[in-house]
Amino acid sequence: MTVTNWIEHLSAAEVQGSIFPGAGSIESLLVLLGFVLWIGWHIIAAKQESSKLAKLAKRRHGPNDWKSNVTDGQ
Amino acid sequence: MDNELTALTTIFTEFYYWITVVLMFLIHVGFCMYEVGASRYKHHQHTLMKNTMLIPLVTVTFFLFGWWIYWALPNGPGLATSIMPDVGSGLILGGGFGANEIANPTNALMAVNLGDHFYGVFWAAFLLFSWTAASIVSGAVIERITTFAFGICAIAIGSVFWTIDAAWGWHFDGWMLKILGYHDAYASGVIHAVAGGFALGILIVLGPRIGKFSSSGEPRNIGPRNPWLVAIGLFLIFTGFWGFYAACNIPIFNLGPEYGMEGVTYWTATNIYVTPTTLGGITMNFLMSLSGGFLAGYLISKGDPFWTYSSGLAGIICSSAGNDLYHPIQALVIAMVGVVVAYKMHYWVERKFKIDDAVGAVAVHGYAGFAGLIICGFVLWGYPSSGYNVPEIGNGMWDGTNYALINPLGMFIGALIMFFVLGMFPGWVIAKILHGMGKLRIPREVELAGLDYEILEAAKDDEKAVSSSASR
Repeated sequence: MTVTNWIEHLSAAEVQGSIFPGAGSIESLLVLLGFVLWIGWHIIAAKQESSKLAKLAKRRHGPNDWKSNVTDGQ
Repeated sequence: MDNELTALTTIFTEFYYWITVVLMFLIHVGFCMYEVGASRYKHHQHTLMKNTMLIPLVTVTFFLFGWWIYWALPNGPGLATSIMPDVGSGLILGGGFGANEIANPTNALMAVNLGDHFYGVFWAAFLLFSWTAASIVSGAVIERITTFAFGICAIAIGSVFWTIDAAWGWHFDGWMLKILGYHDAYASGVIHAVAGGFALGILIVLGPRIGKFSSSGEPRNIGPRNPWLVAIGLFLIFTGFWGFYAACNIPIFNLGPEYGMEGVTYWTATNIYVTPTTLGGITMNFLMSLSGGFLAGYLISKGDPFWTYSSGLAGIICSSAGNDLYHPIQALVIAMVGVVVAYKMHYWVERKFKIDDAVGAVAVHGYAGFAGLIICGFVLWGYPSSGYNVPEIGNGMWDGTNYALINPLGMFIGALIMFFVLGMFPGWVIAKILHGMGKLRIPREVELAGLDYEILEAAKDDEKAVSSSASR
């Protein structure tokens, strides 16, 4: 559903409350898309994190090495 | 007000806007923290002072002429026909340009007025929008612009160019609604794209910070020096943005008589164009677009904190044009698209044109806002841009006597007007003039020493003096 005229829309005997584009036909598809994005995000984020952690672990830094990475604010 | 119900509605609306103004102050606090967090230690205080001083500069000029521009120019002048009647009382505007009484600073109406409870809080809400526009520019130019030049630029964007675009595209009588079918409910374009474009125009002339690019032109990252301050600043901006969303609405309005519908009573909240929406619905969309921004920003930047926080903001900005009507998942997806556009464009422009946008303001506000307008044109294609008068058949585009429907071409032209015509071009011209006067950029030696050098030196001397007297 697309609202094309607010006067007609609000003059109806029973005003249709849902006014988003595709109301009445697209909700399930949108929810499905939401699930796909949610699960997909976890998969990609987990892969990215694993690769980052593996790269860091391979360097075998000591527990105090991070101190030399702190910038002096200049 | 002669009865309790009218008084209650009036005072509620006045108080509603008053609260939004207080909430929106947090946007400015957030911008100040964010910029200081992004700047280097030797420039901290100058960065803060510059952004603080835009408050009085924009406030005074907004009183003198910024508010007048908004109410005087909705129809161009001369581009479309006004729907506002000239009742001669001064409380309702007549034909637009030159006929404005409520925003005329020489008029007694621009003060405490027992006959009107709204225009003072409207003025304040719009002023806070003006600060935001100027503050967006402030972050991009840190560590090398003079305070004088920034003050001029802040007034130009905060009290002139954004108010022109608001009159044209963020006013129920605006010509861009009538001719283009422009729709920008929560200001993807009218605040963010215009301010991002304006910042880009200045940056082209201002040039990068010393050391930003290698001799071969490779960009170097000058990352935030205080990530905590950046994070808290951005979270305060998100909080203030809620106030902004509320301020863009009319909380309670009877659209039946407003649209001339005989015998129809329909009380609702509306957006700034006086078309219906709900505070609940826009809050859902706000949160979903914030989330979409975070999700996409985390992935595309591979978990970089600065970009992830900024992407939350870019996500909201991208969805804002249509967040009065979108489904929450539409808002989420649009936000994700906006973040990808903003991030990719930032690094492409940086590399290609050697633009040093210190906080990613052009990307987060400009590119995300621009993208949001174009997407809105497709997703809301066919919706009316106004409730007052819509064409019987098809689209009234280019007519100018009626309101066009929302459409992709109109929104694309609208995005070009916001980003380039009222943003980038004026920013570039003003920066060129300031550069020609030798007033735009600080001397190289000062940039290297740090803008706070003397403050830090004086503080050190003070400390020495205090500790030597204490040891006597």
